[in-house]
Amino acid sequence: MTSRLLMTLQVVVGPPQKLGAVPQGTRVVAPITSGSFEGPRLRGKVLPGGGDWTLLRSDGVLELDLRITMETDDGALIYLTSFGLRHGPPEVLAALARGESVDPSKYYFRTAPRFETSASQYGFLNQLIAISSGDRRASGPIYTIEEIL
Amino acid sequence: MTSRPLMTVRIAAAPPQKLGTVPHGIRSIVPVTGGDFDGPRLRGKVLPGGGDWLLLRADGVLELDLRITLETDDHALIYMKFQGLRHGPPDVIAALRRGEVVDPARYYFRTLPSFETSTDKYAFLNRIISVGVGEARPNGAVHRIEEIE
Repeated sequence: MTSRLLMTLQVVVGPPQKLGAVPQGTRVVAPITSGSFEGPRLRGKVLPGGGDWTLLRSDGVLELDLRITMETDDGALIYLTSFGLRHGPPEVLAALARGESVDPSKYYFRTAPRFETSASQYGFLNQLIAISSGDRRASGPIYTIEEIL
Repeated sequence: MTSRPLMTVRIAAAPPQKLGTVPHGIRSIVPVTGGDFDGPRLRGKVLPGGGDWLLLRADGVLELDLRITLETDDHALIYMKFQGLRHGPPDVIAALRRGEVVDPARYYFRTLPSFETSTDKYAFLNRIISVGVGEARPNGAVHRIEEIE
Protein backbone atom coordinates (compact mmCIF):
# COMPACT_ATOMS: atom_id res chain seq x y z
CA MET A 1 0.00 0.00 0.00
CA THR A 2 1.35 3.39 -0.96
CA SER A 3 0.28 6.88 0.03
CA ARG A 4 1.23 10.51 -0.49
CA LEU A 5 0.73 13.71 1.44
CA LEU A 6 -2.65 15.31 0.78
CA MET A 7 -2.56 18.10 3.33
CA THR A 8 -1.78 19.15 6.85
CA LEU A 9 -4.90 20.33 8.68
CA GLN A 10 -4.88 22.30 11.90
CA VAL A 11 -8.16 22.98 13.66
CA VAL A 12 -8.75 25.37 16.54
CA VAL A 13 -11.09 24.03 19.20
CA GLY A 14 -13.39 26.11 21.37
CA PRO A 15 -14.44 25.27 24.94
CA PRO A 16 -15.61 21.64 25.07
CA GLN A 17 -19.25 20.91 25.78
CA LYS A 18 -19.14 18.06 28.29
CA LEU A 19 -22.36 16.10 28.00
CA GLY A 20 -21.17 13.41 30.38
CA ALA A 21 -22.18 9.77 30.52
CA VAL A 22 -24.57 8.83 27.72
CA PRO A 23 -25.57 5.25 26.87
CA GLN A 24 -22.69 4.85 24.39
CA GLY A 25 -19.92 6.29 26.61
CA THR A 26 -18.77 9.74 27.73
CA ARG A 27 -19.72 12.35 25.17
CA VAL A 28 -17.81 15.60 24.69
CA VAL A 29 -18.60 17.92 21.79
CA ALA A 30 -15.68 20.15 20.74
CA PRO A 31 -16.71 23.13 18.60
CA ILE A 32 -14.28 24.04 15.83
CA THR A 33 -13.83 27.80 15.64
CA SER A 34 -11.22 28.13 12.87
CA GLY A 35 -8.13 26.55 11.40
CA SER A 36 -6.08 26.15 8.28
CA PHE A 37 -4.90 23.52 5.84
CA GLU A 38 -2.11 23.27 3.32
CA GLY A 39 -0.91 20.66 0.88
CA PRO A 40 0.69 20.31 -2.56
CA ARG A 41 -2.65 20.77 -4.36
CA LEU A 42 -4.79 22.89 -2.03
CA ARG A 43 -4.68 25.32 0.83
CA GLY A 44 -7.05 27.52 2.74
CA LYS A 45 -8.90 27.99 6.00
CA VAL A 46 -11.36 26.14 8.19
CA LEU A 47 -14.70 27.89 8.59
CA PRO A 48 -16.28 28.24 12.02
CA GLY A 49 -19.32 26.08 12.72
CA GLY A 50 -17.95 22.57 12.65
CA GLY A 51 -17.16 20.30 15.53
CA ASP A 52 -15.82 17.04 16.79
CA TRP A 53 -18.38 14.78 18.48
CA THR A 54 -16.05 12.73 20.65
CA LEU A 55 -17.10 9.62 22.55
CA LEU A 56 -14.97 7.94 25.20
CA ARG A 57 -15.87 4.25 25.04
CA SER A 58 -15.88 1.82 27.94
CA ASP A 59 -12.68 0.21 26.61
CA GLY A 60 -10.81 3.50 26.99
CA VAL A 61 -10.74 4.32 23.28
CA LEU A 62 -11.79 7.81 22.25
CA GLU A 63 -13.87 7.85 19.07
CA LEU A 64 -13.67 11.04 17.03
CA ASP A 65 -16.35 12.20 14.62
CA LEU A 66 -15.22 15.46 13.04
CA ARG A 67 -17.28 17.52 10.62
CA ILE A 68 -15.96 20.78 9.22
CA THR A 69 -16.25 23.01 6.19
CA MET A 70 -13.03 24.09 4.53
CA GLU A 71 -12.62 27.05 2.20
CA THR A 72 -9.76 27.04 -0.28
CA ASP A 73 -7.77 30.14 -1.13
CA ASP A 74 -9.64 30.27 -4.47
CA GLY A 75 -13.05 30.22 -2.82
CA ALA A 76 -14.14 26.56 -3.11
CA LEU A 77 -15.99 24.93 -0.23
CA ILE A 78 -15.08 21.40 0.88
CA TYR A 79 -17.03 19.37 3.42
CA LEU A 80 -14.83 17.08 5.48
CA THR A 81 -15.96 14.28 7.78
CA SER A 82 -13.46 12.22 9.67
CA PHE A 83 -13.96 9.21 11.89
CA GLY A 84 -11.02 8.36 14.11
CA LEU A 85 -9.67 6.57 17.14
CA ARG A 86 -7.34 7.76 19.90
CA HIS A 87 -5.88 5.67 22.69
CA GLY A 88 -2.64 5.15 24.57
CA PRO A 89 -1.03 4.45 27.92
CA PRO A 90 -2.93 6.00 30.87
CA GLU A 91 -0.10 8.40 31.82
CA VAL A 92 0.13 9.70 28.24
CA LEU A 93 -3.62 10.27 28.01
CA ALA A 94 -3.52 12.01 31.41
CA ALA A 95 -0.81 14.38 30.14
CA LEU A 96 -2.93 15.14 27.04
CA ALA A 97 -5.94 15.79 29.28
CA ARG A 98 -3.85 18.32 31.23
CA GLY A 99 -3.14 20.11 27.96
CA GLU A 100 0.54 19.19 27.84
CA SER A 101 2.46 18.68 24.61
CA VAL A 102 3.15 14.98 24.06
CA ASP A 103 5.19 13.29 21.35
CA PRO A 104 2.43 11.91 19.06
CA SER A 105 4.38 8.66 18.62
CA LYS A 106 3.51 7.88 22.26
CA TYR A 107 -0.19 7.32 21.51
CA TYR A 108 -2.40 6.06 18.68
CA PHE A 109 -4.38 8.80 16.94
CA ARG A 110 -5.51 7.86 13.45
CA THR A 111 -8.50 8.98 11.40
CA ALA A 112 -10.10 8.35 8.03
CA PRO A 113 -11.14 11.66 6.41
CA ARG A 114 -13.73 11.83 3.63
CA PHE A 115 -14.40 14.81 1.39
CA GLU A 116 -17.26 16.30 -0.60
CA THR A 117 -16.97 19.19 -3.00
CA SER A 118 -18.72 20.49 -6.10
CA ALA A 119 -15.64 22.42 -7.28
CA SER A 120 -14.27 20.65 -10.35
CA GLN A 121 -10.65 21.58 -9.60
CA TYR A 122 -10.95 19.67 -6.33
CA GLY A 123 -13.15 16.85 -7.63
CA PHE A 124 -10.31 14.39 -7.01
CA LEU A 125 -11.12 14.70 -3.30
CA ASN A 126 -14.51 13.05 -3.92
CA GLN A 127 -12.76 10.00 -5.37
CA LEU A 128 -10.04 9.10 -2.90
CA ILE A 129 -9.61 7.18 0.33
CA ALA A 130 -7.38 8.87 2.90
CA ILE A 131 -6.06 8.31 6.39
CA SER A 132 -4.46 10.72 8.82
CA SER A 133 -2.17 10.80 11.81
CA GLY A 134 -3.21 13.19 14.56
CA ASP A 135 -1.09 15.25 16.91
CA ARG A 136 -3.17 16.55 19.78
CA ARG A 137 -2.12 20.06 20.85
CA ALA A 138 -3.56 22.25 23.59
CA SER A 139 -5.21 24.61 21.07
CA GLY A 140 -6.49 21.81 18.87
CA PRO A 141 -5.24 18.86 16.84
CA ILE A 142 -3.00 18.83 13.79
CA TYR A 143 -3.76 16.15 11.23
CA THR A 144 -1.30 14.95 8.60
CA ILE A 145 -3.61 13.57 5.91
CA GLU A 146 -2.35 11.12 3.30
CA GLU A 147 -4.10 9.94 0.18
CA ILE A 148 -4.11 6.16 -0.32
CA LEU A 149 -2.84 5.60 -3.85
CA MET B 1 2.61 6.45 7.60
CA THR B 2 3.36 2.82 8.22
CA SER B 3 1.09 -0.17 7.89
CA ARG B 4 1.23 -3.94 8.22
CA PRO B 5 -0.90 -6.76 6.81
CA LEU B 6 -4.00 -7.47 8.87
CA MET B 7 -5.82 -10.00 6.73
CA THR B 8 -7.03 -10.92 3.28
CA VAL B 9 -10.81 -11.36 3.06
CA ARG B 10 -12.29 -13.32 0.16
CA ILE B 11 -16.00 -12.68 -0.26
CA ALA B 12 -18.43 -14.82 -2.23
CA ALA B 13 -21.49 -12.93 -3.42
CA ALA B 14 -24.89 -13.76 -4.88
CA PRO B 15 -26.24 -11.98 -7.97
CA PRO B 16 -26.95 -8.29 -7.30
CA GLN B 17 -30.42 -6.98 -6.52
CA LYS B 18 -30.66 -4.10 -9.00
CA LEU B 19 -32.84 -1.39 -7.51
CA GLY B 20 -32.17 1.07 -10.30
CA THR B 21 -32.06 4.84 -10.08
CA VAL B 22 -32.67 6.25 -6.59
CA PRO B 23 -32.19 9.86 -5.46
CA HIS B 24 -28.47 9.35 -4.67
CA GLY B 25 -27.51 7.35 -7.75
CA ILE B 26 -27.95 3.80 -9.06
CA ARG B 27 -28.41 1.33 -6.23
CA SER B 28 -27.44 -2.36 -6.30
CA ILE B 29 -27.44 -4.63 -3.26
CA VAL B 30 -25.10 -7.60 -3.31
CA PRO B 31 -25.86 -10.35 -0.77
CA VAL B 32 -22.79 -12.01 0.74
CA THR B 33 -23.13 -15.79 0.79
CA GLY B 34 -19.80 -16.79 2.34
CA GLY B 35 -16.06 -16.55 2.09
CA ASP B 36 -12.95 -16.79 4.21
CA PHE B 37 -10.20 -14.66 5.67
CA ASP B 38 -6.69 -15.14 6.94
CA GLY B 39 -3.88 -13.04 8.32
CA PRO B 40 -0.94 -13.29 10.73
CA ARG B 41 -3.18 -13.03 13.80
CA LEU B 42 -6.56 -14.42 12.72
CA ARG B 43 -8.30 -16.63 10.21
CA GLY B 44 -11.72 -18.08 9.65
CA LYS B 45 -14.79 -17.84 7.48
CA VAL B 46 -17.30 -15.23 6.35
CA LEU B 47 -20.82 -16.05 7.51
CA PRO B 48 -23.69 -15.79 5.05
CA GLY B 49 -26.14 -12.94 5.62
CA GLY B 50 -24.13 -9.81 5.07
CA GLY B 51 -24.13 -7.61 2.02
CA ASP B 52 -22.71 -4.70 0.13
CA TRP B 53 -25.05 -1.78 -0.53
CA LEU B 54 -23.55 -0.32 -3.71
CA LEU B 55 -24.29 3.12 -5.04
CA LEU B 56 -23.09 4.29 -8.44
CA ARG B 57 -22.77 8.06 -8.16
CA ALA B 58 -23.32 10.65 -10.85
CA ASP B 59 -19.55 11.20 -11.13
CA GLY B 60 -19.04 7.54 -12.09
CA VAL B 61 -17.62 6.50 -8.72
CA LEU B 62 -19.04 3.35 -7.14
CA GLU B 63 -19.54 3.72 -3.39
CA LEU B 64 -19.37 0.51 -1.35
CA ASP B 65 -21.05 0.00 2.00
CA LEU B 66 -20.35 -3.52 3.23
CA ARG B 67 -21.44 -5.24 6.41
CA ILE B 68 -20.48 -8.84 7.15
CA THR B 69 -19.88 -11.13 10.12
CA LEU B 70 -16.60 -13.03 10.37
CA GLU B 71 -16.19 -16.19 12.42
CA THR B 72 -12.64 -17.10 13.44
CA ASP B 73 -11.36 -20.66 13.50
CA ASP B 74 -11.65 -20.51 17.31
CA HIS B 75 -15.30 -19.40 17.07
CA ALA B 76 -15.11 -15.69 17.85
CA LEU B 77 -17.56 -13.49 15.96
CA ILE B 78 -16.34 -10.23 14.43
CA TYR B 79 -18.58 -7.63 12.85
CA MET B 80 -16.80 -6.01 9.94
CA LYS B 81 -18.04 -3.06 7.95
CA PHE B 82 -16.48 -0.75 5.46
CA GLN B 83 -17.13 2.10 3.14
CA GLY B 84 -15.11 2.24 -0.01
CA LEU B 85 -14.70 3.70 -3.48
CA ARG B 86 -14.17 2.05 -6.85
CA HIS B 87 -13.50 3.84 -10.14
CA GLY B 88 -11.33 3.63 -13.19
CA PRO B 89 -11.11 4.13 -16.96
CA PRO B 90 -14.42 3.40 -18.76
CA ASP B 91 -13.08 0.34 -20.63
CA VAL B 92 -11.78 -1.20 -17.42
CA ILE B 93 -15.05 -0.60 -15.56
CA ALA B 94 -16.99 -2.04 -18.53
CA ALA B 95 -14.85 -5.20 -18.40
CA LEU B 96 -15.55 -5.54 -14.66
CA ARG B 97 -19.29 -5.20 -15.32
CA ARG B 98 -19.06 -8.01 -17.88
CA GLY B 99 -17.61 -10.18 -15.12
CA GLU B 100 -14.12 -10.34 -16.55
CA VAL B 101 -10.99 -10.64 -14.45
CA VAL B 102 -9.01 -7.39 -14.60
CA ASP B 103 -5.61 -6.55 -13.13
CA PRO B 104 -6.56 -4.57 -9.98
CA ALA B 105 -3.73 -2.12 -10.65
CA ARG B 106 -5.84 -0.79 -13.54
CA TYR B 107 -8.58 0.64 -11.31
CA TYR B 108 -8.92 2.32 -7.91
CA PHE B 109 -10.65 0.15 -5.31
CA ARG B 110 -9.93 1.20 -1.73
CA THR B 111 -11.90 0.70 1.47
CA LEU B 112 -11.85 1.67 5.15
CA PRO B 113 -12.73 -1.42 7.20
CA SER B 114 -13.64 -1.27 10.87
CA PHE B 115 -14.35 -4.04 13.31
CA GLU B 116 -16.32 -4.85 16.43
CA THR B 117 -15.77 -7.86 18.64
CA SER B 118 -16.36 -8.80 22.27
CA THR B 119 -13.57 -11.41 22.29
CA ASP B 120 -10.50 -10.31 24.28
CA LYS B 121 -8.13 -12.15 21.97
CA TYR B 122 -9.25 -10.06 19.01
CA ALA B 123 -10.02 -6.81 20.86
CA PHE B 124 -7.10 -5.13 19.07
CA LEU B 125 -9.45 -4.98 16.08
CA ASN B 126 -11.70 -2.56 18.00
CA ARG B 127 -8.79 -0.08 18.29
CA ILE B 128 -7.31 0.23 14.81
CA ILE B 129 -7.81 2.22 11.66
CA SER B 130 -7.26 0.11 8.57
CA VAL B 131 -7.31 0.37 4.78
CA GLY B 132 -8.23 -2.26 2.21
CA VAL B 133 -7.10 -2.69 -1.37
CA GLY B 134 -9.87 -4.42 -3.28
CA GLU B 135 -9.92 -6.70 -6.27
CA ALA B 136 -13.22 -7.39 -8.03
CA ARG B 137 -13.88 -11.00 -8.98
CA PRO B 138 -16.71 -12.39 -11.11
CA ASN B 139 -18.64 -13.73 -8.09
CA GLY B 140 -17.24 -11.68 -5.25
CA ALA B 141 -14.19 -9.72 -4.23
CA VAL B 142 -10.85 -10.02 -2.47
CA HIS B 143 -9.79 -7.36 0.03
CA ARG B 144 -6.22 -7.08 1.26
CA ILE B 145 -6.49 -5.16 4.51
CA GLU B 146 -3.65 -3.38 6.26
CA GLU B 147 -3.60 -1.99 9.76
CA ILE B 148 -2.43 1.63 9.99
CA GLU B 149 0.23 1.63 12.71
